[in-house]
Amino acid sequence: MDRFSLIAWFVDLTGLPPSWGDQYEHVISALIVLIFILIISLLIWRKLRHTEDRLVPENRTTLANIAEVIVEALLRMLEDALGPTARRHLPLIAGLFLYLLISSLTGIVPGMSPPTESINTNLACAVVVFLYYNVIGIQTHGIRRYFKHMTGPVVWLAPLMLAIELISHIVRPVSLSIRLMGNILGDHVVLQIFEGIAPVIVPIVFMMLAIFVAFIQAFVFTLLSVIYIALAQAGDEVE
Amino acid sequence: MKRIAALATGTYVALFPFLVVAQETFTETTKVMKFGAYRWALAIGAGIAIGLAALGGAIGQGKVAAAAMEGIARNPEAGKRVLTPMIIALALIESLVIYALVIAFLLQGQI
Repeated sequence: MDRFSLIAWFVDLTGLPPSWGDQYEHVISALIVLIFILIISLLIWRKLRHTEDRLVPENRTTLANIAEVIVEALLRMLEDALGPTARRHLPLIAGLFLYLLISSLTGIVPGMSPPTESINTNLACAVVVFLYYNVIGIQTHGIRRYFKHMTGPVVWLAPLMLAIELISHIVRPVSLSIRLMGNILGDHVVLQIFEGIAPVIVPIVFMMLAIFVAFIQAFVFTLLSVIYIALAQAGDEVE
Repeated sequence: MKRIAALATGTYVALFPFLVVAQETFTETTKVMKFGAYRWALAIGAGIAIGLAALGGAIGQGKVAAAAMEGIARNPEAGKRVLTPMIIALALIESLVIYALVIAFLLQGQI
């Protein structure tokens, strides 16, 4: 589909090889998202660095206040699922949520294509989650007991249970990444088609839908990651 | 028990490359054009695939939403606690529809 791309324009401007605009579009937009998050979080960190001065929050809507609200909401969601170990997992989960949310939200900027539209970005995030919850499971249970869980309680059913468990574990990152990619790609295509039909007022409705979908999908991705971590940590009651 | 653990680790390591292979074929198949005169079937197939998937997904999501609404109506204080499991259920149902959407995109890419 022929469309204006900010990334291709940016690549032209900086004198990089022009084929990069097509091939590495999602990498470049992911870099832009990363730089954006970095700048915003540095600004917030400069304000929140001295916790003593921040005991009484300002009574205006500032960047730091918004950041506090977001982190508190994420922490509450984590504590519902994970209990006392929630704070340990907050950096990964909150980072994933903010990265995926802002990545998906770039889809409503005209000329940008969201990095989450490519399977590569999503599979990278999902594989990180996959490795992370396995490492957490092995840390809490020890490597022998963690893999013994997969064989189930009955000895003669063990081969079947092992196969089922392994498939269900391997499908997890694949389904996480394909779900996110399909949702964002589908939404972006719908937005593109309606911009072709009626470029003035109609796309606003679909932009609102895009914001909603971006939020829900980032939430679902992180929520499922939290559930996988919780499942890897729990499992004592089986034995 | 040690043998079971060794077996499990072995299978794990052996199955892991499939992730990479799956992704390779995912990008490769969209470039092949081998259907010739029957390309119209791809268009119909893509349309039917996403249509049927949307039908099934809509029925499933409707049931989830109806049950959640009923639960909230009976006990409005439980609204916040119902919301998160409902979103998980909706996402899991929706992911099946999204698989069909991905398949439809793959078929469309081959036309």
